[in-house]
Order: sequence, then structure tokens, then C-alpha cells
Amino acid sequence: MRVLDLVRAEYKLVYAEMIRRKSELVLLILYPYVFTGFILLVGCGTGSPRVFEERVGVNPALFLITAGFTVMALMICIDDVLWRPIWEAWIGTLPYVFASPVNKLLLFSVMPLPRASLVVLIGSTSLVPLYVYQYGLAGIPLALLVILLVVVGVFTMIPPSILTSGLLHAFGESWRALNIVRPLVIVLLGVYYPRYYMPLVARLLSYALPSSHIVESIQRILLGLVDEPTVLLLATGVLLALLYTPASRKSLVLWEKRKVREGVKTS
Amino acid sequence: MSRAIEVRGLVKRYRVKKRQGLFKSSVEVVEALRGVSFTVDYGEVVGLLGPNGAGKTTTIKILATLLLPDEGEAYVAGYNVVEEPGEVRKRIGLMLTVERGFYGKLTGRENLEYFAALYGLDKEYAEKRIEYLMRLLELDRLGGDYKLFEEFSLGMRARLSLARALLSDAPVLLLDEPTLGLDPPSARRIRELVKRLAREERKAVLYTTHNMFEAEIVCDRILLINRGQVVASGSPQELKDKLPRLKVLTLVLRGGSREKLQSAMRDLGLKYEISEEGDFYSIRVHVKKPEEVFNEVVKRLISSGFDLVSARVEEPTLEDVFIYFSEGSL
Repeated sequence: MRVLDLVRAEYKLVYAEMIRRKSELVLLILYPYVFTGFILLVGCGTGSPRVFEERVGVNPALFLITAGFTVMALMICIDDVLWRPIWEAWIGTLPYVFASPVNKLLLFSVMPLPRASLVVLIGSTSLVPLYVYQYGLAGIPLALLVILLVVVGVFTMIPPSILTSGLLHAFGESWRALNIVRPLVIVLLGVYYPRYYMPLVARLLSYALPSSHIVESIQRILLGLVDEPTVLLLATGVLLALLYTPASRKSLVLWEKRKVREGVKTS
Repeated sequence: MSRAIEVRGLVKRYRVKKRQGLFKSSVEVVEALRGVSFTVDYGEVVGLLGPNGAGKTTTIKILATLLLPDEGEAYVAGYNVVEEPGEVRKRIGLMLTVERGFYGKLTGRENLEYFAALYGLDKEYAEKRIEYLMRLLELDRLGGDYKLFEEFSLGMRARLSLARALLSDAPVLLLDEPTLGLDPPSARRIRELVKRLAREERKAVLYTTHNMFEAEIVCDRILLINRGQVVASGSPQELKDKLPRLKVLTLVLRGGSREKLQSAMRDLGLKYEISEEGDFYSIRVHVKKPEEVFNEVVKRLISSGFDLVSARVEEPTLEDVFIYFSEGSL
């Protein structure tokens, strides 16, 4: 099947890049731990784990490691989908991608899967023992549920990532834009800073991100709230992602049209 | 069967920003193509020749659906490049810059496998095709199976680039300076293969190059393009025939003087140049048919006291044609 061939080809391309460029693999493994450690350090320096648990209702280490795992998996989508066209232009493959008959929406949807699945796999090895430590054997299904929801989160992140990528590249491709988009998305996802603490405008923007609903549902599950609103949040996230899909396709068409009008750079 | 490539009155204008300091700029419109028209048939190699900025790459880009024309129409395998880019993309094999355009951390074979997936080729077919191309272009012998693209020499990169263009067995090949920067053996290999593809597999090939020698031996037909217009077209011989003075008769003489030489040539109505080196004079006579004037010229020179040391006839090169049509004179 040709879709599977494309998925296989993407996995091979990305894993070859990682395995044959060791520093990338090491960074990918280390990044969530370094990030979590940094946040824990800042958190303990300015507050206390007890206050955190009182206010948020979850053990801070568990919350932040789950958050680190979630944000890493979700940011892969943004990174891969936004960065890839810039990289392709840089190494000179972009004209061949444009001139190929491949379905660009499908290609962009497949792009983040290799790295995201690696992150999920690596992350789960740290998440399961931590949950078992905190909740006993009951922690295993809970950890698996969180992992499953993160995977759903990854898929719901793809359409808005493609939409952003298409628009950004249509109006000038700059890697600097990535530096603005990434922190904004991290905040708006509500991973480290739950949505109910956000100011109104930020909260409204956050609602527009499908994955933020998945993040909130994960947070509710960690609080022990497996109820109707949690399911509703999940459904909202998935539905929003589906609603984004036609717009994502259009943004890619717009990008392609603009590039072709200016002329795709070939040298 | 329709033509492989049909181009009618293509016009492309670029808006070029002219910067004046940090904040000021003005826009200038540059016409890269000014009504270019031509056709390419299946089984034919057509060369697109012209100086830098003549519009060769712009034409290739339009045909490859990588650039929209402002006016005119272009068809590849019967499909309009603007209205049916998807159909065009299925029918072209593209080779742009030789040194870039692949994934550095993949081997040659892995790169081809990736592009096969991108072109939607069936897995089994792709495997067989890649195997065939690796052998055809001798990439298997050169280490294309285990060397990463970033470790490839320029010659190997060119071969891999051509292999990608041939991957989907497209009937139309668009090759933009495919031998640029290659060593002579690699360049020869590419040229031979291109000719073979057109002859044996009936591929239509549009081939841009700066190399006159290459154009002469590879192309069945040449389009000379200058300042966005096709200024001449035809087979290499037809183009040479279009030059007003076709051949150069060069005579090397001894004895006499420059004045005597000029006096002997007077009244013949021929265009000539004289150069001097020690006791020898060399006279270059520009004529359409040297055999018609040879006897008369030699008779006059000998009767004026010169000894004929050597005589030769030089055919005009394609370079002469190129210069004549791009600069207006030889």
C-alpha cells in the first residue's frame, strides 16, 4: 500500500538522520529530563512541592514528568512540520518534493510520526515506573492510559501544526518564526501552567488548540476525575483536529501556490 | 500521439527588488522569458543553449511546474503545466542542480527508495527499478549501496540525480545542466546515457547546457535562447549553415611583405585577417565555400612571390553560432 510505503520511507529517513547523527538521538532522549529537572529546580526554588500539591492536587514530580513527556511528544509535531520545509529548502530537496505527485497533506501528516513515536516509546519507560511508585500496581493502567492520550494528543496536534506551517511558509519561511511559535504553543497547551489559571485571552487561544483539550483531560485523570467532562474534552480535541484538517490542506495549497508563483528555488 | 513538450509564447516577468540602503528599495520588472515557443518530440534530445540569465532554467522550472508563467501556454505529455500540474508531475523526470537535492544521511539506494515512495511507486516495482538504475549508472560498483550521500563525489551525485530522474520511468526528462562541474569520464557517461534513453526508450529530453561540445554531440536539435527569446533553432549543422560566413580558410605563407600580401588579396572581395609571426604570415579568409576561391587565392599569392607552407579549412563551431546569435556578430 502506497501510504504505508510513504510512512516506512519517512521512518527510515528520520531514523537514519538520528542514528547516523548521534547527537540528535542523545538530545532527544535527554531533553524531557533536562526540561523537567529545570522546572522542578525553579519550582522548588520559588515555591515548595507541598504548596504545588495543595494548589494543583498532584505530586509535582509526577505532574512535571508527565508534563515533560506530553510537551515533548506534542512539540515534535510543531518542530517537524514547521522545520521540515526549511530543511528541505536548505538541502535542495524541496523542488523535488514539490515536483513529485505525492499528496502533500499526507506527507506532512506522516512527517512527525517517526520522532513522536520514538519519544512516546522512550518516555513510557520513565512514566510507568513512576506511576507504579506513586499508585502501586494500579499505576500501570493509569500510565498506559496517559500514554494513549498523549498519542491521541500527537495526532490532534498535526492538523494545526500543518495549518501554521503552511501559513508561515506561504508568507516567508524563517526558522526564527519557530522560536516564537514554540514557546507560545507550550504555554497555550497548558501543560505546565494549567488552563484554568490563564488570563481570559490566553485561555480562549488555548481552547483553539485541539491538543490543549487532551492535555486538560490528562490533568483531570491525574486528579482522579475520570468523568463525563473528561470524555467531552477528549471528544472536543479530536473534533477540533478534524475541523482543522481542511484548513490545513488549504494552507499547504496556498504555500505551494505562492512558492510556484515566485518560483521554487533550485540552486 | 501528441508532442512530448509544446510551449507557446511563454512570458515570465520577475520583480526584482533594488535595494538602496537599509530602508529604501524600488522594484524593477525583468522579463526572463519574452514569448518563447518550441516543441520537443518523443525520442528527441533538444538542447536549450544560452548565456547566463538567458531564460533556460526559467523554462525548465515552468515545465517542471515549479514556476508559473505570466503569459503563454506549456504542455507536457499533452497536459497543461498550469491547469494540470499533478498530471504533469507524473510524467516528468527532473534533474536540477547536481551537487545537492538528496538526504545526506541516507545512502544512494535509500535516497532512491525514499523518492520512489514520494512518487507513489509500487514497492516491488520500485525495488526492481532501483536495482536496474544502480547497475545502469554503475552506482552499485561505486558504493551507492553503503556510502551516504554526503560522502558521494560530484560524479556519483550526478549519477544519482539522473537515477532519480529515471526512477518513475517518466516519458519526459527535464535535465538542467546535468554535467556541470563533472570530470570528463562522468560527463561522457551521462551524455551517452541521455542519447541512449532518447534513442532506445523514446524519451523526450530537454537538456540545458553551456557546453557547446556537449550540445553538439548530445542534441538532435538546439534552441538558442538569448534575453528570454529563442533566437535560432535547428540541428547543429543547420545552425552552422545559418552563419553568414561559414568557414575559415587559413593559409600560412613565407616570403614577401604584408603590403604585398594586401595588394595580392585586393579586388578579390573577400573578408580576411593577416597575422605575422617571424618570417611567416598567416591569412584567415572567411568564405562560404573555400573550394571555390582556393585556387584563385593561392595562384595570386604565389605569383606575388610567396611560398605556401600550409593550408587548412576550419569549420565553424557551435560556439561561433552561439556567439553570433547571442552577441550579433562573430
